[in-house]
Amino acid sequence: MAKWRNASVGAAALNVYGIFFLVFLYSPLVLIFVYSFNANPTNMAIWSGFTFDWYRTLFGMQPAASAFDAAFTESPDRIFQVVRNSLVVALSASFISTVIGTATAIATSRYQFFGKQLYQAVLLLPMIMPDIVLGIALLIFFVGAGLKLGLLTIVIGHCTFLSCYVYVVVTARLVSMDTTLEKASADLGAGPLTTFRRITLPLIMPGVVGGFLLAFIISLDDVVITYFIAGVDTQTLPLFILAMMRRGIRPQINALAVLLIAFSFVVASTGLYLRSKRN
Amino acid sequence: MSGHRTIERERTRSLALLLSPITLLLGIFFLIPLGITIVYSFLEPGMYGGVVWSFFPYNYGRLFGWPIGGGEEFEPLYIQILFNSLKYAVLTVIISLVLCYPVAFWVSRMTGMVKNLMLFAITLPFFANLLIRIYAWLLLLRPTGTINSALISLGFVDKPLNMMFTEFAVIVGMVYVFIPFMFLPIYASVERLDWSLVQASQDLGASPLQTFRRIILPLTAPGILGGSTIVFIPALGNFIVPSFLGGSKVQLIGNVIERQFLQARNWPFGSTLSTVIMGSVMTIVLLYALGTRSSFSRSARKGAGNG
Repeated sequence: MAKWRNASVGAAALNVYGIFFLVFLYSPLVLIFVYSFNANPTNMAIWSGFTFDWYRTLFGMQPAASAFDAAFTESPDRIFQVVRNSLVVALSASFISTVIGTATAIATSRYQFFGKQLYQAVLLLPMIMPDIVLGIALLIFFVGAGLKLGLLTIVIGHCTFLSCYVYVVVTARLVSMDTTLEKASADLGAGPLTTFRRITLPLIMPGVVGGFLLAFIISLDDVVITYFIAGVDTQTLPLFILAMMRRGIRPQINALAVLLIAFSFVVASTGLYLRSKRN
Repeated sequence: MSGHRTIERERTRSLALLLSPITLLLGIFFLIPLGITIVYSFLEPGMYGGVVWSFFPYNYGRLFGWPIGGGEEFEPLYIQILFNSLKYAVLTVIISLVLCYPVAFWVSRMTGMVKNLMLFAITLPFFANLLIRIYAWLLLLRPTGTINSALISLGFVDKPLNMMFTEFAVIVGMVYVFIPFMFLPIYASVERLDWSLVQASQDLGASPLQTFRRIILPLTAPGILGGSTIVFIPALGNFIVPSFLGGSKVQLIGNVIERQFLQARNWPFGSTLSTVIMGSVMTIVLLYALGTRSSFSRSARKGAGNG
């Protein structure tokens, strides 16, 4: 009896602890969300009414309250250009990485070849290597190779680690997949390409699309590697936020943060859902 | 026979086709750049940010303090910063491990939809932008921030606590940023835990502490090791968290590297520091690989012995 009571006390304590853990994870993000609607321009910690002003100034729908604030958002053109840069980079880098990563996953899970284990080990390195090491290595390389730092170098840099990320996601899918259909297709005389197009690809599609979406968000949110290889003229959304944060805490940052988090969460949730989806 | 050989040749061709993009990508844009970083760490810093192509071991001398020359002097500050970075990374690992471990058990007891949703909820914050997650802690910790305002209005303190630009702030920020990496590996090993062994240990009269130390801890060790490795590595090189939450008080190796590249323009010395991090990472990964391999073979032997 005593033991049973102990167990249920333990379970209750674990519940309380787990809920605290979730509060720890989410309350900082909820805080930004609440603050983004607080009309108080000087002290966010004191609520002084509900407003959409910070969202409106962000997109130039309302003139900024002061010259200082105006310097933050400069003009709506600036933020649209930054968002466009980010989308161009994220879409091209995640698309290229999805193709390369998927091809690699098929090679390592459907073929035997010399040095396969070494390949598999090296494929994990770009994800393990601290961002700063990869960032400066690419910076030295691009400058040495005479490539002008900009969107192209950011896309290349992102591809190095995103391909490996997609590779891991798609490999998980390929390994857990039933290979009977592939074998049947080959036995019935279909060539490797036909088997791939008609059997393998449709079966791994959720993993491929999931990997693409997760790669897209990781690219869109990347700070450190982009920071080193963007050059002076090119800014992505995270670099724009970094510059804003260095100038000081302003309510406009809250509004921008909420929009970015909301977008990231929607895309990442879809990606995570597709990745975990069973056949 | 020739048909068989044609199929063989076709397979080889498609394998080459599948592998060449990643080989070129990682060869040119990953392995070569890392190699160049190592080469740069042995070059002489030139005027105005360039390099002089001559063998120059003194960047390492400046860091580690062996016989010096070439105008460089041993600066004990850097080795201190290196140790400090190790300390922060270790603290981040320990704290996130302690925080995550019970949660892994909590989630593993759930079932069905609730469990999936909970796993999703714990993974999701990882996809919030790194800067925004740090920014949230700026809002919480600064003198006019949420925590101080709450403490003052509740009358617990009369003037704001000094939390920003402290070691505490940096640790909290690092734990918050890296905790998703810790949770998943631990959860995976808790999920695989064979509860009949725990039951057996309890039935045989072991105390809860004994059961934990002798059964649960060793069985979840792979997850602990995996989580610790993938938290430690990014924590070691991180510079964004200390630059916002540590101010000038907390300087970690990542901050020094960033400065060498973007302000001081001493690329060889920055490469030296980066090479040291790269070396530490490779050592850790290698140790981890050897560790898991030997524990695998040990359990395999045990299995064979029992059978």
